[in-house]
Amino acid sequence: MKGYSKYFGGKLLWFSVTFVAAFLLNFILPRLMPGDPVAVITQRVTTGMTSQAGVQKVYEEYANLFGTNKPMYEQFFLYVRNVFRGDLGVSFSQFPRPVADILRSSIWWTVALQFPAIILGWIIGNTLGALAAYLKGGFDKMLLPISIFISNLPAFGLAIVMLVIFGVDLGWFPTSGGYGFDLIPNMSWQFVWSVIVHYQLPFWTIVLIAIGGQAIGMRSMAIYELNADYVKYARFLGIKDRKTIMYVFRNAMLPQITGLALSVGTMVGGNLVAEVIFSYPGLGQTILTGVMGQDYPLISATTLVITLMVLIATFVIEILYGFIDPRVKAAQAD
Amino acid sequence: MGKVMLEVRNLTTKYITRFKEDIYAVDHVSLKIEEGKSLGIAGESGCGKSTLALSLMGYYFPPLYYTSGDIIIDGKNISGMDPDVVRKSILGKEVAYIPQAAMNALNPTQKVIRFIEDVIHVHEPQKSKKEIYEFARDRFEQLGLPANVLEKYPVELSGGMKQRTVIAISVILGPKVLIADEPSSALDVTSQKMVIKMLRDLMDSGMIKAMIFITHELPLLYNVTDDIMVMYAGQIFEKAPAHEAVFDPLHPYSQGLMGSIIVPEAGLRDVKLTAIPGTPPNLKNPPSGCRFAPRCKYVKPICKVTSVGMVHVGEDRMYRCVMSEEEIRELQQ
Amino acid sequence: MKHLLQQVFRSPKFLVGFVIFSLLLLFVLIYPLFVPDNPLGIIGQGTFFEPGIYVNAYDVIGTDPRTLMLDNAAANRIASKLSPADRTAMQEYLVAVGVDEEDIELEDTEKLLDLWEAYYDPAARPAGFTAAQRRYYGRLTNNLFGILSLESVVIAAENPETGVMEQIDEVKQSDYVNVNKVANVRWLPLGTDNFGRDVLTQLVSATKTSLQIGLVAGSIATAIGLTLGLIAGYVGGWLDDIIMFITNLFTVIPGIVLLILISFSIGQENRGAVTVAVVIGITSWVWTARAVRAQVVSLRNRDHVNLSKLSGHSVAHIIVNDILPYIASYVIMALILQISSGILAEAGLSILGLGPKTTEVPTLGLMMNWALIYSAHVTNKWWAWVPVIVTIASISFSLNLMNTGLDQVFNPALRED
Repeated sequence: MKGYSKYFGGKLLWFSVTFVAAFLLNFILPRLMPGDPVAVITQRVTTGMTSQAGVQKVYEEYANLFGTNKPMYEQFFLYVRNVFRGDLGVSFSQFPRPVADILRSSIWWTVALQFPAIILGWIIGNTLGALAAYLKGGFDKMLLPISIFISNLPAFGLAIVMLVIFGVDLGWFPTSGGYGFDLIPNMSWQFVWSVIVHYQLPFWTIVLIAIGGQAIGMRSMAIYELNADYVKYARFLGIKDRKTIMYVFRNAMLPQITGLALSVGTMVGGNLVAEVIFSYPGLGQTILTGVMGQDYPLISATTLVITLMVLIATFVIEILYGFIDPRVKAAQAD
Repeated sequence: MGKVMLEVRNLTTKYITRFKEDIYAVDHVSLKIEEGKSLGIAGESGCGKSTLALSLMGYYFPPLYYTSGDIIIDGKNISGMDPDVVRKSILGKEVAYIPQAAMNALNPTQKVIRFIEDVIHVHEPQKSKKEIYEFARDRFEQLGLPANVLEKYPVELSGGMKQRTVIAISVILGPKVLIADEPSSALDVTSQKMVIKMLRDLMDSGMIKAMIFITHELPLLYNVTDDIMVMYAGQIFEKAPAHEAVFDPLHPYSQGLMGSIIVPEAGLRDVKLTAIPGTPPNLKNPPSGCRFAPRCKYVKPICKVTSVGMVHVGEDRMYRCVMSEEEIRELQQ
Repeated sequence: MKHLLQQVFRSPKFLVGFVIFSLLLLFVLIYPLFVPDNPLGIIGQGTFFEPGIYVNAYDVIGTDPRTLMLDNAAANRIASKLSPADRTAMQEYLVAVGVDEEDIELEDTEKLLDLWEAYYDPAARPAGFTAAQRRYYGRLTNNLFGILSLESVVIAAENPETGVMEQIDEVKQSDYVNVNKVANVRWLPLGTDNFGRDVLTQLVSATKTSLQIGLVAGSIATAIGLTLGLIAGYVGGWLDDIIMFITNLFTVIPGIVLLILISFSIGQENRGAVTVAVVIGITSWVWTARAVRAQVVSLRNRDHVNLSKLSGHSVAHIIVNDILPYIASYVIMALILQISSGILAEAGLSILGLGPKTTEVPTLGLMMNWALIYSAHVTNKWWAWVPVIVTIASISFSLNLMNTGLDQVFNPALRED
């Protein structure tokens, strides 16, 4: 167990460092850019106001509210303090709604949509890829072009195609939103059903995207492993093909897990755009609203939340990997 | 003359490439090993010696296919057998294989003992894990390997240790014939020595009745095996007792091969190294006539037309050339 | 070099990708020579005109008519006048007055009209129809049979001197004009978009811009990645540690987050296509840096590099002469992938509303964004978005094919499959 705690500790330290770096970037990047967010909001609020002094007063008020009139380091500590209190500021575009409140209502949509879909897509994709490598022939010849096609289509492209085919033409599923627009969120059967129905298209789109990418990776990984020396050796000791195939799939799967850890950020990013296509009430839509409303605090907080989400997901995958791959423990034990 | 442990008659096997071309990498090979003897096989890379090792197992999978010939182990002809019978009753029990790249011969995500369990279960499915562990531990200790190796993953073992573990696993079912394909090539000198010693001990203790040792390092063969066979382009070109094969080769190719290496032996210090000009033929369409003719410095017009059979010299020597022994010796002067 | 190129072009995958990409590029370059219009010029008043050939109706009147006696002209005319809604309404009426629903075929205009003539009675008041509906049926009938009975239409214009309407032309049902003779004809192969802009012209311009964005972003990303990878891999030591630390950081921090933050902070007004390309470039070098470093580390201790070191060559000389040639193929492949992902990144950003400003040039992402905002995808205005997705997919597909082809040539181990 000592090996694991060492591995776990190392990973935890690394992710903490990464988070601090991401946090800093999140704070610094927007402030390095030309333009003054307070000026933007002042301009919005004071549209139509003629008195210069009035505008100036509004500007000062907001500068005070967001702390932009203080020196950079003071702003930073203020920011850190507020974030740790769960205070992510007040939205510009939905003033005076707190940003934390907006995010609370959208983050779970994204989490509940993306992570199950990515995991399911990963499982199906790897199974198909492994089968293609093993069975070869017709199955492989059919699966490979489809996978290549899907993985070449951007996430939003697949989302639109799915939406038009199953939502518009066939009319099987609703085309937008997370639940019926005429419903108010509650625990009634009607509402839950509506959520389930709205969930299908975005969910299966993300599953498909994940399958496309994973199947290709797993296929070449499994082909590589099938030609490995240990397969030949095991066969010459009389071990059944079915058993050696199990060795191969297990070994080919391991790099796929690491691959998932490395690509989960990219996947989530692409899927956020897909969410926008379905007008799903998740973080993708939040970003869009933020951009449209020039809502600086909202964007800043959303990116921070996405980073945190991806970091946690990556961390969890890497920890799981540590338990699955015996070599990790062996390497740490030295 | 001792009991014949392994006899191979006219064995031919081929690769089928993905362009559906046939490549005969082992072409009518015959050999015989008596009990307690070992045979070395030498040749340039690509001469078919590794393919011969694979072919001798009597168990084929793509892209290697059996074409014709017989493999007789301890009186049992295994070449006509059902592959599943070969897998269950021959592999590991009658004949065992030590692969070329032992570095990667073990599944990296499996403990050594788990793999041994899988191996033993093929032949003795009723054996319990505990029995297998005790059996394996005894066998490892007998071979001079620490028992804790069993509980380790391959990555935790050094190169030499990994190779010795592979050898121990190969012989765990007590095979009569061992086929070692370059077992020591990738190792450092110390580990190499230990591996060779282990193989010799296996032979000396009678645990293994016969061994085929394949390598491109001739000095090693000279020290390890009783006889040496030289392969070229899928065919046997010469077979002789180790000493004669190295110091008095008959076939022009063997002469070239022996001339291109240093055998650490007194008196050889000032011998000049020579290289054989040209490259081995492409086995997709080997030259008609003698396959070595295009590179042979003594080549005659007839060599390019007719292929030649083996010429026997005395009890235990043979070579494949149109020239007589005297002719060759004359040319050598 | 020549041999290598031959080998590359003999790879079927590379060839297919190359051909698709070249055709696309060729079209993008040639099209503006024939249609030099401003891609953002608004030509249509109204949204989403269907693809087709638009013939100026005014010019048609002034064009010399020719008489063609074609049998099915009348039927076609009525068929085109009868909308699907009209047909369903007619069916409803016919069923109400006792026609078996089985006998009515909505698509067969001639049969429908025969039935209508037989059963429709303007005086009858079948149950279940309001007065408004009865009036509608009356108008419909007049229209239909008006078309049949009309011999010609008279065109009149006001005489500017007298102010009296005077007949200036008469158009008969059998009059035809040659399209080539009509002064103004506009072919809109992909119709117009939500702003009334020619979709094809816009698409060509957008493809060009997007390719440029991809090229700029890809070049920047590859340049940064290559430089960092070379330094980290060859120089090693603390430089390697620092570079790898940063690289690992940006591997885990999602690129899209940085993209969003930077693009948003720059602001809509300052985001030109080039700016967006640069932003994409500086946020996507991570994979190239990692891969280049790995390659360089494995090259660093090769014999030929050691030999070069022993001969006293400078670090720059060694990198240029002994390292770069060995990773060149790899870098080219990375560049191709970066171009493709740069184009996709721009599209993603634009959909989130963070693309280049909308007033200068169209990009594939912006076109997608407009189509989405104006719901082209849910209202069956396929011409506004299908061509965009097809273009994006073809670019990405052809570049990836080329990449796979190159990979197979340069890494023969992969040729197995």
